[in-house]
Amino acid sequence: MKSEFFTVLRSPVFWGAIILLALGPFVLPSYYLHIATLTLIYIALASSWNIVGGIGGQISLAHSLFVGTGAVLSSALLLKLGINMWLGMVIAALVSGLMGAIISFIDFRFRLGHLSFALITLAFAEMGEIIVIGTEALGGASGLFLPKDKGDLLAFQFGSGAGIFWVMLTLAVGAILINLAVLNLPLGFYLRTIRDNEAAAQAIGVNILRNKTIAMVISAMFTSVIGTAYARYLTFVDPYQLASPVLTVEIVLIATVGGLGKAFGPALGAVLLIPLGEILRGKLGGSLPGLHYFVYGAVVIAVILATPRGLLPALQSRLASWRGSAKSEAKKPSIAAPGA
Amino acid sequence: MAILQIAGLTKCFGGLTAVNDVSFSVEEGEILGIIGPNGAGKTTLFSLISSFLKPTSGDVIYLGESIVGVPPHVLVQRGLVRSFQIVQTFADMDVLDVVTTAALSRRPMLEAEDYAGDVIRRVGLGGKERLTPTSLSLQDKKLLEVAKCVATEPRLILLDEVMAGLTLAETEAPLAVIRELNRQGVTVVMVEHVMPVIMRAATRIVVINFGEKIAEDTPATIVEDQRVIDAYFGELVDA
Repeated sequence: MKSEFFTVLRSPVFWGAIILLALGPFVLPSYYLHIATLTLIYIALASSWNIVGGIGGQISLAHSLFVGTGAVLSSALLLKLGINMWLGMVIAALVSGLMGAIISFIDFRFRLGHLSFALITLAFAEMGEIIVIGTEALGGASGLFLPKDKGDLLAFQFGSGAGIFWVMLTLAVGAILINLAVLNLPLGFYLRTIRDNEAAAQAIGVNILRNKTIAMVISAMFTSVIGTAYARYLTFVDPYQLASPVLTVEIVLIATVGGLGKAFGPALGAVLLIPLGEILRGKLGGSLPGLHYFVYGAVVIAVILATPRGLLPALQSRLASWRGSAKSEAKKPSIAAPGA
Repeated sequence: MAILQIAGLTKCFGGLTAVNDVSFSVEEGEILGIIGPNGAGKTTLFSLISSFLKPTSGDVIYLGESIVGVPPHVLVQRGLVRSFQIVQTFADMDVLDVVTTAALSRRPMLEAEDYAGDVIRRVGLGGKERLTPTSLSLQDKKLLEVAKCVATEPRLILLDEVMAGLTLAETEAPLAVIRELNRQGVTVVMVEHVMPVIMRAATRIVVINFGEKIAEDTPATIVEDQRVIDAYFGELVDA
């Protein structure tokens, strides 16, 4: 593990921000608390996806499969078989991990290029949605209703509002820390070489299948856990929302806008786009139907055109050049270190 | 002892036989040069030895074992590493990160980074640790190609035209690195187009033309060989 990881782990700014966020439920009105919770969910989802899609450069469109498994499978196990949702969460995560491993193997076995990989993972995601909709035991098209959240921790209930907010905060911080750990471990170095040039990566001793699979399994399992928590938050498990490839597209968009392959990139994307989308819907949704999508789309296009490599790298290089001009003698600031 | 033996190696791409029944062996500790006109099959031969391509027939024996079908990353673990003729860069990774990744094949994270720093200074890229490929000159990229190989701590290193495109003066730096490595006991097989370089560096030379081995001898004898003159130097005189 490189020391950058511990630098962040020991950083008072990092923990200060988390403590400040944790106070959210005490000050935010419920509508804004909802937006904040949603933002944290998407920070977690986009950061998890970033392990495969950003650091590893494998544009996986299969992630709705893992969210869906985490949400639908654990809910179905509870409702149909009475299996505790904590156990259901673990089972769903294992199933997601297995699916991730299979997808990685197919990718390796058939030497899929980036485009084929994206399309095949999309096909898997579509299949997943169709299977859920067509299977009565999984709730079918009408979805599943979880019992009311009474705050019974042992039953995977966290109490609506503050409790579930803290759960999502934990998951979001966890996802970011996993990213940071991966980037500062050999795995991150291997994944970045694989992303940039597979043949050359092999030539310096990188095992492509092994590292791609590890990344995919970590990402799939964590995504699945977020899916289970998301289901608990929503109470109504709607397959058209939680198992739909549209969800993956949102995740990919957030990670791309924020900065692919950076530990804090997807988080920045989520912090910008989720509140923007929600607030636009709240303000404009009533006046002219579809207008909020139009504005949202225009903002996304503008951000991507202005910062093609993502917001975070753009901000970092801005900051670096500003610091550079402030003290021309200074060493290259550590914030410009890769993956920061 | 022969560290590497090539036996009847043949590679066909459709109707084209790129490498045809080539056999030679590499002794531990030597610098073997492979030369031949453009399109002679040198790079294909390298890809076969380093397992990036599967031979149509024939065998590659490294340290007494056949390595046909062994994945390239496993060969790196066993000490056989190659460079690429067309410099293979990692667009979003700086020099230190790339060389660190190579060093990770033998060392844990923290040690790998320190060692990578050493290797970078040794090949003459000191001070350029944080540069990405876009801001490296061709010469620096070639040095990075060498640094990557060196950082894996190989026993046998296959260098594919690491001097191509460099002026004679610019070849001094990589050449010094290669000689230094060789003194430390690393066996080197190099494909090279820059004739004066290979004549000075190699202890033995194999000449390839149209996919076949046409000569194998010391540099001094090779330049006298009529077949070589016809195939290789003749071409240069005509050009």
